[in-house]
Amino acid sequence: MQTRPLVFLFGSALLAVSSGAGAVTSPPPSAKVQIGEAEPFCNSGVPGEWRKAQTIEGVTIQESRVCNPDNPADVAAFVKGTNNISMQTLMDTSNLAADAITKTNDMDGDGDPDHIIIKLEIMEVNGHSPDFAGVVPTFDIAPGIQPGFWVFAPKSRDMSTRSFASVEANPLLRMPSAPIRVEQGDVVWLVVENTHYFPHSIHLHGVDHPYMDHGGEGNDGVGQTSQMDIMPGQSKTYVIRPRQPGTMYYHCHVQPHTHIPMGLAGMFIVEENRPNNWVQTFNVGAGQVRHPSVAVSEKFNQEYDLHYQSVDKELHKLPQSANDPRLIARAMNQEYDITDATDDYFLLNGRSFPYTLRESLVTVNPNEKVKLRILNGHTETLAVHTHGHKATETHYDGVEQNPGAQVTRDVYMLAPAQRLDLSLNTTDDGLHSFGSGVWMFHDHVEKSFTTNGMGEGGSISLIVYKSYLDENGAPKTHGMDLKQYFTKEFWDRKIPVWQDWADDWGSLAEPAGTQAASVTTAAAVKSKSAAVTATDNSSSPLGSLFNGLLFGIAGYVLYLYRERVLAVIGQIASQAKGKH
Amino acid sequence: MSKFKHFIVLGAFLGASSAFAAEQREIVEHKLLMDHGDGHLMDMDGGMVMGQNKDKLPGGCDKISEDAEITVRAGHKYSKNFPGTMFAFDKQEWRVKPCTRLTVHFINEDNIRHQWMMHGLPKFLYDKGMFHLEVTGPGKISGTLILPREDKTYLVHCDIAQHMEKGMKGQLVVGKGGATFPSIPGLTDFAIPDNYGPTSQTATAAVQPSAISPKAAAQPAPSASQPSSNTGTFIIGIVLGLFATPFLIGHFKERFKGMSSKDVALYGANIGKSLFDQAVHLVTSLYRNLRK
Repeated sequence: MQTRPLVFLFGSALLAVSSGAGAVTSPPPSAKVQIGEAEPFCNSGVPGEWRKAQTIEGVTIQESRVCNPDNPADVAAFVKGTNNISMQTLMDTSNLAADAITKTNDMDGDGDPDHIIIKLEIMEVNGHSPDFAGVVPTFDIAPGIQPGFWVFAPKSRDMSTRSFASVEANPLLRMPSAPIRVEQGDVVWLVVENTHYFPHSIHLHGVDHPYMDHGGEGNDGVGQTSQMDIMPGQSKTYVIRPRQPGTMYYHCHVQPHTHIPMGLAGMFIVEENRPNNWVQTFNVGAGQVRHPSVAVSEKFNQEYDLHYQSVDKELHKLPQSANDPRLIARAMNQEYDITDATDDYFLLNGRSFPYTLRESLVTVNPNEKVKLRILNGHTETLAVHTHGHKATETHYDGVEQNPGAQVTRDVYMLAPAQRLDLSLNTTDDGLHSFGSGVWMFHDHVEKSFTTNGMGEGGSISLIVYKSYLDENGAPKTHGMDLKQYFTKEFWDRKIPVWQDWADDWGSLAEPAGTQAASVTTAAAVKSKSAAVTATDNSSSPLGSLFNGLLFGIAGYVLYLYRERVLAVIGQIASQAKGKH
Repeated sequence: MSKFKHFIVLGAFLGASSAFAAEQREIVEHKLLMDHGDGHLMDMDGGMVMGQNKDKLPGGCDKISEDAEITVRAGHKYSKNFPGTMFAFDKQEWRVKPCTRLTVHFINEDNIRHQWMMHGLPKFLYDKGMFHLEVTGPGKISGTLILPREDKTYLVHCDIAQHMEKGMKGQLVVGKGGATFPSIPGLTDFAIPDNYGPTSQTATAAVQPSAISPKAAAQPAPSASQPSSNTGTFIIGIVLGLFATPFLIGHFKERFKGMSSKDVALYGANIGKSLFDQAVHLVTSLYRNLRK
């Protein structure tokens, strides 16, 4: 019976594995996770003068108290047209092309130009490079987050990056596609120069436009019903003369289920006709309109464009996954399935919290009236909520609601592609405003105040009374330090959100030695990390091999003692029979 | 009357715009450029020259070695010969002698902007070390520069987002040239090659987990394929157990012949210890892999 010692060894080994369960063990102590390097709140590096109210080329430009305001030279060029400004102002713009906006011909003799030629290019930001591992030109929506985007951008000149040494995109090349403003009755030539490697078009959603232009070309931007798409390297001129004012929408109508989410969509605003009404043709980056139209200025102190968008990170990775346009086209058109998609990032004017605080604050004084134009560019319903304020809904999809029936509330709901004009009144009366402060406003659909599920992120921004702003546009908040939101590690899910706040000893910090595991569980849930799946698999086949081995040995033992086993079975069987 | 005039003007504008696109077929030569100093010339139709230098000799050149002219054509149609590109120049390499005064005639045959942008020139002569021609097509623009004396290969590209990446890239070789650049169509390979496998793994695996790519098959994802592979190893285990046990027993019978039960236990304990050591090693290495 030499098998006995073996059995004994196996048994004791198994015992050793299960022992220890009875001993008292203390849970691990708290460990501090280093938060990594935090960016400063404001690193735009813009001259302080850019934020001040000023006049350039005869264009009055309102103050903009945010960290990253629009370049005043850009605003002047957008208002006057690149054909009506000095060469110096053109050189001071963010590389605007000399033929980007041409404004001529006061046809109705009311002191403003009525023939407007607007040139748009189609740019990819955070695109693939076959030369190095990163993306180019870069546009970060939050620290370290660079999804690929396609945008309609004002025609520019020179490099697409800020300099040869930098991979950061020129300020004109950014999300969202720039809001476009024209005046009611203007003859507008919208020239799309397709600088991108895929076919595109423009559909003027809600903007009064003829189905065919006078030359017999399709004008609706729909490939199936109107006109063939604009091929790479080609251009197309859309001709319109909108008769009705309002907040409208423009977007690409080629493979729109991917091209709209990729960023080829923007606000299109037709301003009411007034004498001497030079409107600001582009509002790059949306947000504050620094030169509101005459009609808006009659009723409001300020005007803001708020464009909400959502991003499925898998879709926005596809243009970064290959260089060959055929591979990208196959991945996007034949393999990507939007009915299986979920949105991960939520943007207000092209950025997520905390970057929204650098450029998309609504900065107000008490007793002001502010016009907010909201576009829901999400794939789902938007429910904007303003803390501390109840605003009045004045226009739906660009059409004014009967003033006697206008609704004042604090959650404003929009279906995808809908537009809503709000009148925000900062009079401290307990209804329209609860008084001065730093008041958050955000989409109240819970996932959209996260960034890939990490909160607080997403499209959160703030209504800030100017007494609560410092000279760099940082709001004087009274809560926690916002530093961790400016680190890449936070959005990498590495930082325990409450580690520093509960107490000195970190009662809500990370248990020591478990950090890597918690990170990997998160990754495993998302089933994206190849390393994790590999290790998961390598352990379970080993386990089944061991189980098989045990079964095999058991089988052999049964075979060895088959006579005895058979006898026992026979005995049991006969006993069972005997009972019956 | 004025209203009637208004309509005529309006009609002319609306009509002209459709002619606008048709008009653009012929190549427009941009010759009337405004000089902004420092070799920067520009017109109001998107024509632009930066870094023009017709007379300043770079250090090391005591005279201009020769005057040369090249004509470069650019457009979507030149990408035809290079699968996987969308825009290209008609040529990808140009060769000149050191100290050449080179005039570049750049013809853009598309209806959008293109550039012929050179980098790496001496910065004291050329702002940002750049020589740059830019024109909206169909159009032609010309510019002149004097090349330094060193043997060097210069990057030439269109810097509009994705134009270089999608094929509009070349090199200007001065003298014997220097280090070349990756991903020039027909000349050099990508530094990061594309994957032309049956389906691109990262993309499809992320979008449709059910699609089995070659990589997914090699290291199965936790999906339907996993149980079957585990039953496989389970069966191997059974076979091993069934057939190896008699041999092992035979082996140990030989091994332990004439030994006391104490010696046998000691032997077993030694094996157990080495097994335990190996297990610890396995666990730590797995843990390290996980951390990575």
